[in-house]
Amino acid sequence: MRDVIRVYKKNKLAVFGFFVITIIVILAIFADVVSPYKYDEIDLISFLQPPSFKHPFGTDSIGRDLMTRIIYGARTSLIVGFSVQIIAVGIGVPLGLLAGFYGGKVDYWISRLVEVMTAFPGLLFAIFLMVWLGNGLINIIIALGVTSWVGICRVTRAKTLEIKGETFVEAVEALGASNSYILFKTILPNIIRPIIVMVGLGIPQAIFGEASLSFLGFGISDPMPSWGKMIQESLGYLQGYWYMGFFPTLSLAITVLCFNFVADGLRDALDPRMYGRRA
Amino acid sequence: MSRRFVVSLLVLVMALSLSPAFSAVKNSAGRVLPPDAAPLEYQVLRVMSQPATTLDWFISVYKRTNEANNYFGEPLVRLNKNFEIVPAAAKSWSVSKDGLTWTFYLDKNIKWTDGTPLTAEDFVFSFQLAADPKHGWDFAWFYSPIKNWDKAVRGEVPPSAIGVKQGKDPYTLVITTEYPAPYLPMMMLYSTPLSKKAYEKYGPYYNNDPKTSVSCGPYVLEEWTKDKQIVFRINKNYGGRVKPYLEKIIVTFGDPGTSAFKAYLAGEIDICGYSNSQIFTPADLEVIEKDPELSKQFHQGFGDFRTFYLGFDCYNPPFNDLRVRRAFAHAIDKEAIVNTIIKKQGIVAYGFLMPGFPGSNPEGLKNIITYNPELAKKLLAEAGYPDGKGFPALDMWVRADLASPTVVAAANAIGAMLKKNLGIDVKITVKETKTFMDALNAHKLQFYLVSYGMDYLDQSNMLGIWVSTGRHAWKNDRFDRLVKEASALLDKKKRDEMFKEAEKILVEDVGGIFLWHQTPGALWKPYVKGKDLEPDKYGITALHWPGIEGVGTTIFSIYISKDVLKYRK
Amino acid sequence: MIGYIIRRILGLVIVILLASMITFFLMHAIPGGPFDELKMPLPAEVKAQILKKYGLDKPIWEQYLRYIWRALHGDFGVPFQSPTETVLSLIARVWPVTLQIGAITILLSFTIGILLGILSALRQNTWIDYLVTTLATLGTTVPNFVIAVWLMLIFSVTLRWLPTGGWGEPKHLILPVLAYFLAPTAVIARFVKVNFLEELRKDYVRTARAKGLPERTVIFKHVFRNALVPIITLLGPMIPDLATGSVFIEVTFRVPGLGKFFYTSAFNRDYPMIVAMILLIAVLWGITYLITDIVYALIDPRITFT
Repeated sequence: MRDVIRVYKKNKLAVFGFFVITIIVILAIFADVVSPYKYDEIDLISFLQPPSFKHPFGTDSIGRDLMTRIIYGARTSLIVGFSVQIIAVGIGVPLGLLAGFYGGKVDYWISRLVEVMTAFPGLLFAIFLMVWLGNGLINIIIALGVTSWVGICRVTRAKTLEIKGETFVEAVEALGASNSYILFKTILPNIIRPIIVMVGLGIPQAIFGEASLSFLGFGISDPMPSWGKMIQESLGYLQGYWYMGFFPTLSLAITVLCFNFVADGLRDALDPRMYGRRA
Repeated sequence: MSRRFVVSLLVLVMALSLSPAFSAVKNSAGRVLPPDAAPLEYQVLRVMSQPATTLDWFISVYKRTNEANNYFGEPLVRLNKNFEIVPAAAKSWSVSKDGLTWTFYLDKNIKWTDGTPLTAEDFVFSFQLAADPKHGWDFAWFYSPIKNWDKAVRGEVPPSAIGVKQGKDPYTLVITTEYPAPYLPMMMLYSTPLSKKAYEKYGPYYNNDPKTSVSCGPYVLEEWTKDKQIVFRINKNYGGRVKPYLEKIIVTFGDPGTSAFKAYLAGEIDICGYSNSQIFTPADLEVIEKDPELSKQFHQGFGDFRTFYLGFDCYNPPFNDLRVRRAFAHAIDKEAIVNTIIKKQGIVAYGFLMPGFPGSNPEGLKNIITYNPELAKKLLAEAGYPDGKGFPALDMWVRADLASPTVVAAANAIGAMLKKNLGIDVKITVKETKTFMDALNAHKLQFYLVSYGMDYLDQSNMLGIWVSTGRHAWKNDRFDRLVKEASALLDKKKRDEMFKEAEKILVEDVGGIFLWHQTPGALWKPYVKGKDLEPDKYGITALHWPGIEGVGTTIFSIYISKDVLKYRK
Repeated sequence: MIGYIIRRILGLVIVILLASMITFFLMHAIPGGPFDELKMPLPAEVKAQILKKYGLDKPIWEQYLRYIWRALHGDFGVPFQSPTETVLSLIARVWPVTLQIGAITILLSFTIGILLGILSALRQNTWIDYLVTTLATLGTTVPNFVIAVWLMLIFSVTLRWLPTGGWGEPKHLILPVLAYFLAPTAVIARFVKVNFLEELRKDYVRTARAKGLPERTVIFKHVFRNALVPIITLLGPMIPDLATGSVFIEVTFRVPGLGKFFYTSAFNRDYPMIVAMILLIAVLWGITYLITDIVYALIDPRITFT
């Protein structure tokens, strides 16, 4: 573990990314305390104002402070990002492990299930689910989660297959270890690392997904803000009110970028080739 | 002077006027172009619309293009820019003393492009088709006043039993109604006939292909390239009294809501913004306002007299309590919303009928629901929810196809006002259109924002949708009775009075909270000109409803002026 | 191996059946139908007739079996939104549009992506590297619908160089491809750079250099080939992805492709179209996975098939 941190710290971008993400998370958790206004506080006199001292990011069409809404938007995005990945890992990893480890019929049927899920490519299936379930935060998380576990499952399966074929696993088997021992103590620790990297990349994907769904009209209910919805709303105001779209787009970009930095850093730091196998 | 001299003078004048020096340019249908018109090849109008499945009213109302419709047939009457009915396929009409039988005398000059004349048979065929439940027409609720219509639609009598029949000769059409309906000619705006012959030969979609399409209207189908565009060409043999100027109309497919304005700015289309699918966003309006050229091209009108309102489920708590509904009504500052959010695109609504609509009564209704947060709080407390305590959290549904940025902003503002004045938590959800209507029509929607625009200019249409058998979960027996009786009255003064009383009940009993009337604006290029684009009898310059549809006279008076050459069209 | 392929194809059939079953179920769970009641409710009898006209009045299982039976005979029904043609002809008309955009995007993103990736690997920490990183960042952090709208505003509305949308001429391809290829290019460039750098660190490179081989030969004859092999794993999933198109781009630029029709079909409850498109996508992905799995096996002999 200490080695991991040491290698990670060498990557300046990764450190920077981690730092920024931490700030965003803190802002999101303490949004109520940090925000200068309430996110649904309207002011029909000072609407559509450009950035100023009173409103650093400007105000929207009904006078709500944009900076406050960006901070609360971070909360929405992070909740979506993490929840979706939790669902994706919760479904994808066990299925991938089972498929890779046991092979045979188990693998066959799980792979078919994976293929059925890919028949409904992410966004399109999410659209379906949203029309069926209706809008709302929980439904977005469900829709995105259900369409995100496939990637993790495939990687888990591939890595499991790869590791299963390694000599050290054969050695442990020869020593008479039980299946569950092999699964949990041998294979799992070695695949956790690529999984973590995938999760790191999957969070921004989920945030993007929420933005896309909002763009298509399946966002969360107002007045709770989300960056995706703010971007979609800003598209009607692009000519003349640049700040309505600029800040949410920038926030989204920075967040996604930093998650990518962190994921890259983790990938390097957790590279098993640097440490040798754990048996 | 001697007679011979006068005759020679006349002949001389006639000869001179026929010579090239005096003759004006005629288009392919024979109409003389105005002096400032551009050369014939420029007489093309370009618009944008959603993709269409059909162009015919009686095949499907909702699956047509947004505005470029009803060119292939001659309706019985048309609407001019002063919202007056003018003769079209029907040269004249008369009504029996008891008000139940209408006789329309058809213009014998109108022929289909396959040579057959337009006769009463085509109208009878079209109406019977629409009434036939097997045809599955999506506007089947519309012609209720016609005798036996509702029964036919329900399958209780055959479609041939409806009160639309040929009269004493093939050019006479007789329509009988269930009750006296003085607005029937107005309803006959929607009577663009199908060709019985073509339908029987080629089926319902005969107008989708230039090879099988027949028209007796001002235009014929020249091209229908799926996913791309529809091109209408002028009907050389059009038999109507007034022929159009435009040689061609090109309809490009797209999503007007997002693309029309940009296409207009880029010079790809000539008109935009006149239909409900093309409402300008506040940013678009800013762009227009700041640009002096664009500002001159922007004209506002009545649109389809559309009113936006909040609705409730009045059959269940908490909204079954009138005090709760009135509390909500008094807690919303309509003026502020219109001044800051809706701005140019609407005016405050005090009742359901927009000023300008027959029978509207803004003065009489103005003071019933005023912005009064104190009174609102008091009423809510009386109803058992002091400061909103115990009141369920609300989810306001907004119909997706109406949820332009302006409307969503207004919805959010209303939610914030309710929170501030009443302490009630309101969420705003944009609901997909079919899901929304499904719930609304089933009376399952608790709290929602929606709008309605008129179908024909009579109180029985607008107020008629509020009767308890309609889409709203609100019932008021006196209202139902007044509307039903007034709709069937011939005495104009009395029916106007009864409708006024009915609207008052609607406002007092808070069937809905009426927020604003839409005053949509349209943009058209400086080289698009025409009599109907000039001020109407109220002095208003606008692209009046129904826009460029074939059931309005506007499309007949539009032409392209020489200025187009400056724009490199 | 042959046995494996046969079993996989059988599996694909099962996948298709399952996918269509799920689709049918979802379709009927979603409220609304292929009719509009925007103003007033339709009389119940008329609704019943409309449903009958579309064959939607029968129980779901019966509808499903009828559909499968007809599909086996090549009849996929008539799209509700375009009743004058069949589902197959509509897809046949509409899919090539998406394929065109997809094909050009793949070509562009792979060539440019590989180039940029190698460049930044070889010239680490120079301005090229930073430029590439910035572009890559833009491609992956700004949603492509935002990029699409920006492009339209700049090139169509302001500069008037290109049309705001539509289809039919080469000029209609430019903006959609521009908006679409940024993200894949970024991903590829990054991937290539990482792999390239990894290869450069390997022992055999040191050996080759020690042997005195010119740098050029080292790079182009050895590293190049080894670094690019993993790209196949990237290419695999990208192809069906781009072959089915992006809903945003097609809707924004009014491109009449598969993505846009999926969107309109969902909203219009055009059931035959939806089911047909899902089946198409299922087949595409099934075949893609089969091919990539076979390629994996060929490359890495450690992976066995049971």
